[in-house]
Amino acid sequence: MRAIIKNGIGVFHPQGFLDGDAAESMLSIDDIKATENSEASMILVSLKKVIFFNKNGLETFVRMLKKVHKSNNAIVGFCDYDIKKFNSIINFFQNELSFSLFKTYEIASLFAQNYDKQNKNVLVYSDDKSQRAAMAIELHNNGHNPIIAQSKAEFKEKSAKKDTYDMIIEDSYIGQMDSNISSRVTGNAIIYTLSSYLDADTTNKFNIAYHTNSLKIGFRLFIFECYTVKSMNIHALNFFSKIATYAAEYNATICFVGMTYEKTPIKFKETLEDCGIMFFERLDDILEDKELLHELGASKAVAGKDKKGLNKALVSELPKYIDATVATINMMTNAKATKESAQIQTIDIKDKDDKLASSIGFYGDLEGMIMLAFPKKIAKKACEVLIGEETDDIELILDALAEFVNIIGGKVKSLLSNENIKVKITLPRTYENVDELLEVAQDKKGVQVDLSFEDDKFLFFLTR
Amino acid sequence: MITKEQIDSFIQRIPPAPKVLQETINLLDNGELTKAAKTASQDVAFNAYIQNLVNKPAYGLQHQVSDTSQIFSLLGIPKCKQIIYSYILTLLSPEKWSLFELDFIKFKELQANISGKWNLILEHLKIVDKSVQSSISLLPASLIVADALFKERIDDVKLLKETKNLDYNTILKRICGIDIFDLCEEISKKWGMDENVGEIIQSASGVKKSEKKDIEYLGKWMHLLLFYEFSKPVFIEAGLNDFIDFQIDFVDEIYEDFMMVINGATK
Repeated sequence: MRAIIKNGIGVFHPQGFLDGDAAESMLSIDDIKATENSEASMILVSLKKVIFFNKNGLETFVRMLKKVHKSNNAIVGFCDYDIKKFNSIINFFQNELSFSLFKTYEIASLFAQNYDKQNKNVLVYSDDKSQRAAMAIELHNNGHNPIIAQSKAEFKEKSAKKDTYDMIIEDSYIGQMDSNISSRVTGNAIIYTLSSYLDADTTNKFNIAYHTNSLKIGFRLFIFECYTVKSMNIHALNFFSKIATYAAEYNATICFVGMTYEKTPIKFKETLEDCGIMFFERLDDILEDKELLHELGASKAVAGKDKKGLNKALVSELPKYIDATVATINMMTNAKATKESAQIQTIDIKDKDDKLASSIGFYGDLEGMIMLAFPKKIAKKACEVLIGEETDDIELILDALAEFVNIIGGKVKSLLSNENIKVKITLPRTYENVDELLEVAQDKKGVQVDLSFEDDKFLFFLTR
Repeated sequence: MITKEQIDSFIQRIPPAPKVLQETINLLDNGELTKAAKTASQDVAFNAYIQNLVNKPAYGLQHQVSDTSQIFSLLGIPKCKQIIYSYILTLLSPEKWSLFELDFIKFKELQANISGKWNLILEHLKIVDKSVQSSISLLPASLIVADALFKERIDDVKLLKETKNLDYNTILKRICGIDIFDLCEEISKKWGMDENVGEIIQSASGVKKSEKKDIEYLGKWMHLLLFYEFSKPVFIEAGLNDFIDFQIDFVDEIYEDFMMVINGATK
């Protein structure tokens, strides 16, 4: 069984009866390895479709969760349960409860890094005072507005006014875990949350592969939230200087917000400013100022350093990328997509209106990026199997499009691995209009392939 | 990916029930147990099958029996009918499975487990209807159909499944507009089974509501029985746990009774 990963959250969905034997059959060593390598920031086991479980059944999953947490610091736990199941888990594990419990997936997603929906008013209650505080801190760090109910009576009273809150949290538990540097995405800006002492260890806690790939797929504004930072030392200063230099190569902007200088030398700020890092007092100073956001690059993604264009290795594998795309269309729609023309050029999209686009990058033995631009109705058609029903909800369509391009990425990965070329794929990105895609792809040479599918055309672009 | 034409051609290829067995079923329907046993004994392969099957622990016979007439009288008409349908299914089962990691022995074990437990459930519910007893035989049929339909594009289907948490049945429904339970109903018609067999099978999907309360109630038991069996390690490894989507709310009210019946069987 593999975890389904979406928005950086991986979820296992066991179903039926979960005892020790059944659980072991559900998880193979390969499944655990794949989860460790997934780079998801949260891994959950959903109990929604489990009608029976015992401690042995859960323990198999807990062992996997601990392993994944140890290897990539992901937040791990169970979700989607009722009060009966919640009490059973608490009872089974009592003092050994190191993982988290989230009553629903939606509650879990509030605690996840990379989650792009913020500013939720969240009512929080737990019998345990320290749990209430832990949840509130995590929620606050993730950009939400927690309201704590201090007693069961207060919780009952407050939760009766459901409309006041976007989400109500009860029967949940935050496991004690070493925290990594968390990140989340808002629009096209990535926000990293730093806390306590910034020292040599900061380098280890920072996911440099994630950061690099974010730059590659077009993110251009990175904000480090420092509200709870106590001090910074010279090692951390050197590290952030390097991050700034690297960002400059991509024309990206790095900002620090909420930094104080009681225990950090003010000259550090000057040094970082010399490296191009900008300082603000509050996060909202940036996020609420649309003009400034635009200037800083959060709404445009200018390709800077990365004008590598094509190379022979990439082009020689071109048929595989096209095959993967054509096969995916075929698989999802039962209609055949055919190649009309292929040319090496910079991306050229003639009619930009009413089009959606998506992209996915891959790195490892080969580096590159696949971009697809579709007329909206074709995107809808191509994703029909994933959407399931007739919809005009653009978020749903973009979501399905991300999964669609993820399938293509998965196919490319497996086609290449047949030839011993090992690549990893990035998170898929979608674009509500093609101008955003053009900002990422502009000036880059690549292979543009026009594909036709049931009398409609869509564009495939492969670049580095 | 899988066209309606392919599905139709698959249904066309399903053989009708062999003549001897069809005759046996007709005799059973008329209450002629002895004549039915005599007719059935002409089919050597069926005789070997039924002997092997009823001597499994799931049937709970105290002594080994090897005479077909004896087996028929021990089992009674409804169970005999159910076994004949199971046998017809094994004739249909593929030599090599593609989507599910099954073989002849595992498939037979699944059939024995499901039909044995279904009999216990019906005893508990005090139901002696022949067609209700036979209906369970069609569930393994859905596995054969799914495996055959997905055979050509297994990797694609698996990749699609890994990307979104869809069960194989939902994937088939979204692509072709017809699901495994519909196909089972088609097979039941082709084999001349009673009309309500199809209804029970559809209700066992857990998503298609039946207007008849008693049918829906049976559907719940069948749905939970499926997941009880599909949660066994051998069938999880075979991929059956991913086959259909478990509807926990649908079976919630019968869960405790179900465990009581099943635990009684395993003690």
